[in-house]
Amino acid sequence: MAVATGGGVDGDVPRRLYADPGLPDRVFRAVLRGGGALVLAVMLLVGGFLLYRAWLALDKAGWGFLSTAEWAPDAGKFGIAAVLVGTVLIASVAVCVAVPLATGAALYISEYAPPRLRQTLISVVDLMAAVPSVVYGLWGVFFLQDKVIPTARWIAAYLGWIPLFDVDGADPADPLAPASVYTSSTFIAGLVVGMMIAPIVCSIMREVFSQAPAGEREGAYALGATRWGMIRSVVLPFGKGGMIGGTMLGLGRALGETIAVYMIISLVFDIQWHVLQSGTSSVSSLIALRYGEASEFGMSALMAAGFALFLMTLVVNFAASSIVARSRSGAAS
Amino acid sequence: MRPATRFRVGATLSALLSLLCALLVADPPPARAATYAKITGSGSTWSSNAVFQWTRNIKANMGMTVNFTDNGSSQGREQFKRNVVDFAVSEIPYGLKEQGVADTPPRRGYAYMPIVAGGTSFMYNLKINGKKVTNLRLSGPVVAKIFTGKITRWNDAAVRHDNPGLNLPARQIIPVVRSDGSGTSAQFTTWMAKEQSGVWNDYCRRTGRGSGCGMTSNYPLLSGSSMVSKSGSLGVSGHVRQPSGEGAITYVEYSYAIKTGFPVAKMLNKKGYYVEPTASSVAVGLTGARINNDKNSPNYLTQILDGVYRNGDARTYPLSSYSYMILPTKEEEGFTKSKGNSLGTFGRYFLCDGQQQAEELGYSPLPKNLVQAGFAQVRRVPGAPTSAININKCRNPTFSSDGTNTLARNAPYPKACDKQGPTQCSDGTAGDKGKTPVKPGAQGGDGNGGGGGGAGPGGGGANGGGSGPGGGSGGSAGPDSDGDGTPDARESAGSGGGGTGGGGGGAVDPDTGLPISGDGTGSGDTSVAATPVSLASGGAFGLRGALMALSAFLLLAVVVGPPVMARVLAGRARRRGEIA
Amino acid sequence: MQSRASDVYAVVGAGAAALALTWVMFGWLLPFNGVVGFVVVAYVLFLALYALLVSFDEDGPAIVDRIAAAVVRSMGLLLVAVLVFVVSYALFEGRKALVHLNFFTEDMQLAGPLEPLSVGGALHAAVGTLVQITLALLVTVPVGLVCAVFLSEVPGPFARFVRTIVEAMTALPSIVAGLFIYATVILGLGMDRSGLAAALALAVMMLPIIIRAADVVIRLVPGTLREAAYAMGTSRWRTVWHVVLPTCRSGLTTSVILGTGRGIGETSPVLLTAGFTSEMNLDPTSGPMVSLPLATFQYVKSPEPTMIARGFGTAALLMALVLALFVAARFFGGRGPGQLTRRQEHRRVLASRRDAERFAESHVAAPNPPSTPPRTTALDESRRPS
Repeated sequence: MAVATGGGVDGDVPRRLYADPGLPDRVFRAVLRGGGALVLAVMLLVGGFLLYRAWLALDKAGWGFLSTAEWAPDAGKFGIAAVLVGTVLIASVAVCVAVPLATGAALYISEYAPPRLRQTLISVVDLMAAVPSVVYGLWGVFFLQDKVIPTARWIAAYLGWIPLFDVDGADPADPLAPASVYTSSTFIAGLVVGMMIAPIVCSIMREVFSQAPAGEREGAYALGATRWGMIRSVVLPFGKGGMIGGTMLGLGRALGETIAVYMIISLVFDIQWHVLQSGTSSVSSLIALRYGEASEFGMSALMAAGFALFLMTLVVNFAASSIVARSRSGAAS
Repeated sequence: MRPATRFRVGATLSALLSLLCALLVADPPPARAATYAKITGSGSTWSSNAVFQWTRNIKANMGMTVNFTDNGSSQGREQFKRNVVDFAVSEIPYGLKEQGVADTPPRRGYAYMPIVAGGTSFMYNLKINGKKVTNLRLSGPVVAKIFTGKITRWNDAAVRHDNPGLNLPARQIIPVVRSDGSGTSAQFTTWMAKEQSGVWNDYCRRTGRGSGCGMTSNYPLLSGSSMVSKSGSLGVSGHVRQPSGEGAITYVEYSYAIKTGFPVAKMLNKKGYYVEPTASSVAVGLTGARINNDKNSPNYLTQILDGVYRNGDARTYPLSSYSYMILPTKEEEGFTKSKGNSLGTFGRYFLCDGQQQAEELGYSPLPKNLVQAGFAQVRRVPGAPTSAININKCRNPTFSSDGTNTLARNAPYPKACDKQGPTQCSDGTAGDKGKTPVKPGAQGGDGNGGGGGGAGPGGGGANGGGSGPGGGSGGSAGPDSDGDGTPDARESAGSGGGGTGGGGGGAVDPDTGLPISGDGTGSGDTSVAATPVSLASGGAFGLRGALMALSAFLLLAVVVGPPVMARVLAGRARRRGEIA
Repeated sequence: MQSRASDVYAVVGAGAAALALTWVMFGWLLPFNGVVGFVVVAYVLFLALYALLVSFDEDGPAIVDRIAAAVVRSMGLLLVAVLVFVVSYALFEGRKALVHLNFFTEDMQLAGPLEPLSVGGALHAAVGTLVQITLALLVTVPVGLVCAVFLSEVPGPFARFVRTIVEAMTALPSIVAGLFIYATVILGLGMDRSGLAAALALAVMMLPIIIRAADVVIRLVPGTLREAAYAMGTSRWRTVWHVVLPTCRSGLTTSVILGTGRGIGETSPVLLTAGFTSEMNLDPTSGPMVSLPLATFQYVKSPEPTMIARGFGTAALLMALVLALFVAARFFGGRGPGQLTRRQEHRRVLASRRDAERFAESHVAAPNPPSTPPRTTALDESRRPS
């Protein structure tokens, strides 16, 4: 009910309208606000607790936190240099493996697949995105590790002059070179995590590609473009935002992946740039390994590492959402 | 979807759901007579094989649930301190200093109780001529140098000195260490710090832990070496046993080697004999242990092992030790009397009946004095049963009427070939009891003789590197299932194959100076004399490589050339035709 | 686009040629061997030969188009093949354990690593998973839905702030959520490692995801529906309850089910908070409660082949559960806002018919022209369930 409170006779005061929502609506809004506040409180509690404990550790470590490689919090020497580099390397390998595959598959599903097959493939890929990570870890440990050793050996032998692919302690001319120097490496962990994020990236890209406007597609065909020419000039530019967004979402997932990486790698506390060589580290594996034996301060140190990971994933996610929102594909969806 | 289909789907789903509920109801957890409270514990992987077996036994016999998580001694001690678990199992007590930081004891009341004895053994995966080596022997300094990266190849002079009977390959040694906080690491590094201090302190310096780091639960890793770190005893033993783990060696409790079917290295004791950590040799070794007997000390019943390392008995295994359970002695922090009843019953069970299974599980049973002290500790748990136990009914192999350790007394002496010297036994160890033939020069008083000892598998070893013209090229076709991998870039030319590549009959092999016969099972040398390998085909990048590339290119040209030439010519002709 | 015979011949021919060439080269000429090398060289040769064959008939852009089509098709095939292989690998390796009925009906309290596969099973893990996820959903779904409605119904700076925080928290790694619960609830409050702690860790992880998914679905409800309801004088809460929520019901169901699927498969929060046991524990507040991914992780660490088979079997059970949830999500959801199922439409039609009769009766007393019979009758007949 609107009640008009008009001005007096002499002046024109704009009347203020207000609606009395009534008791049920007021209760409703209060309940909603309460729910929102509760969620906010929980999330701020989680974030704040993390920040507080992390601050206790960071205070003690100072800037050395970013440059120290070893992890002995009780002795005062701890830092995430090694685990951060390892996490980024594993995630990079994963993205390098997943993005081309996912782009190709997304293009195939949205452009080339026959209509009956398309729905099946979409369901299959979405289902694969839901498969738990421990299944990928099992596949990685029991199947992939042994099968990838010859490939890793070949790359180290012929591309070993690139520092990234070099392997210490494996002389290609040595006939009795151990095979286990190629197991438990960043490369294998990256392959497994890449397979894990590929379906997610693929379904995001596929959705974006299928939203490319039909008018522009038909225009390209009308001008005589082949199918690939149309894709290159219409679909890919339209979906650029979605592609980048999907990639960064996959990157965020890869950064936080714990159990598959933990099952595969052999943890070293050293900055290890050789992706084919055994021994690497990641923040989530560090937490999974050391949480039980950490003293009070050790727990704060682990939370500092977890907070650093959280910040990284946060930055990646926000970058992704802003790129997507600014792009044509994001604005359309 | 048509309603009929939907109905069918819905009916199926609800049928499945009700089936699940029926399964739950139809097979309820057995309601045993006495309802024991559940207790949780965590800790050592070193003794977890025994602890898990005991928890299963007590569940089957008395219906008591003991939830034990094997996550490493450091986690066990820490979680007991934080009241997350009711009891912990650890190899080392509280209060020790690691990397300058003391492990402060918990605020709650606690007591130590020994649970089982065993040996920290060195499990390895090594093959000679495709056949698994089972009789490796190592002395203390060699072990220390292996695990500090000083010895990097299996055919190093020091290793060969310990193994005169084996033709060790030039394979790289891969030490596998624990990545989590481990009591096994603590035991091993205590021995290293006490007995091999020079090597150990140097290693500490090289890994950035300062000069002299003493005992540590977190084994320091040497960057740039082939050292691998895995979590848990299952992790390290799992790494060694996989096919790509050839050349790996790790330190793990004896029962893990037995369970995975792999051998352990016999270790040299002070008297000069190489011994493996069977129940008897561990029992002998631990007669030299000093146990803290001060009932008022918080470290009552903990061990000092210096006497064990240097025990002068010929049958002793130097790295023997006990494992402890940390018991709560006060009713606080969620530990109730009913939980104490469960824990006490459990403790009394494994101190008595459980010790009978120790030997078959790969451990060594506790001697009588420790069992008695253990019973006394169990009484301190609030709510534990306090009835007297007739200790003589325990059927513990170490008990005797006169108080000596029967198991230690009756321990068999090592064979003469196990003495340090030019002879080496060919018996297998731990989980792999198959014999490994040794060189005839090293066979000495083995009693198994020359040809006979290695007859079966030794003769079979001839199909790879033994003798005959096929020796060399046996590299790829033969028993190369040893996992050293046939690299992609190598040709199995097998030019580097065998040592005894002579012709047939009666001749003396120029390489080894030994007579050989055609089929390789002749007089004397049935030992493994060679390791077949697949080598790179010599100069793959030299003339041969160039010729190969040329031939591939020519093949492609032959396939692709004619149609392309035809098109080019036709196109030219057409254009000429159009212009003209 | 129909494919001509010559296109098919080109593909088949190039494939056969590449295979044969690689076979000769690898087998006799070059010092390479290995499956991976063979496949890579064969693929490159296939593309080159296909380009050559196509160039006989077509010009530049068409060649590029064909090669691009071949590459895209092979990528799609590769991705799907690898993913299907990953799943079937777990199923295949677990087959030895899955054929025993006791795998689904027993727990592992009496079965050690040396026991054969006819003893012991994964029932305790399956029950543990269900209990934990139910508790997590009990906490997450009501709070999440209320918050999602809040975000769309009470706009303003506060709602924007909450939305930003929720989006930020979706980036929280699952292991950090588990670490948070371990540090606060287990170490701080002294609770046991139990099913309830695991459920809390799962809830902390799932809450932002469910809120964001529900928010997206609710925002898709067309504003015209809301405005129509307001125009008829309803209050805010009636609009939400009777118009907005029923409209996006299927979307909400889908997002909840998908969030559940994600939560079931998470190992890391449960690893830190649930402890490990080999017996069935139905009490979430005391004692460790193991879940399917955690049991899988533990079993495959053992060297015994029976335990490894059990581990794979548990993974297969977990995948079956996720698949069932996925199918349920497709079954219940997938409809846009405002689209009704046949049964919902039928119910609406019946309700309209009842209303029409009521109007007719109320108009009998009033001097109004007799109401015409409801127009829905004809539609009604045609839509009667067949």
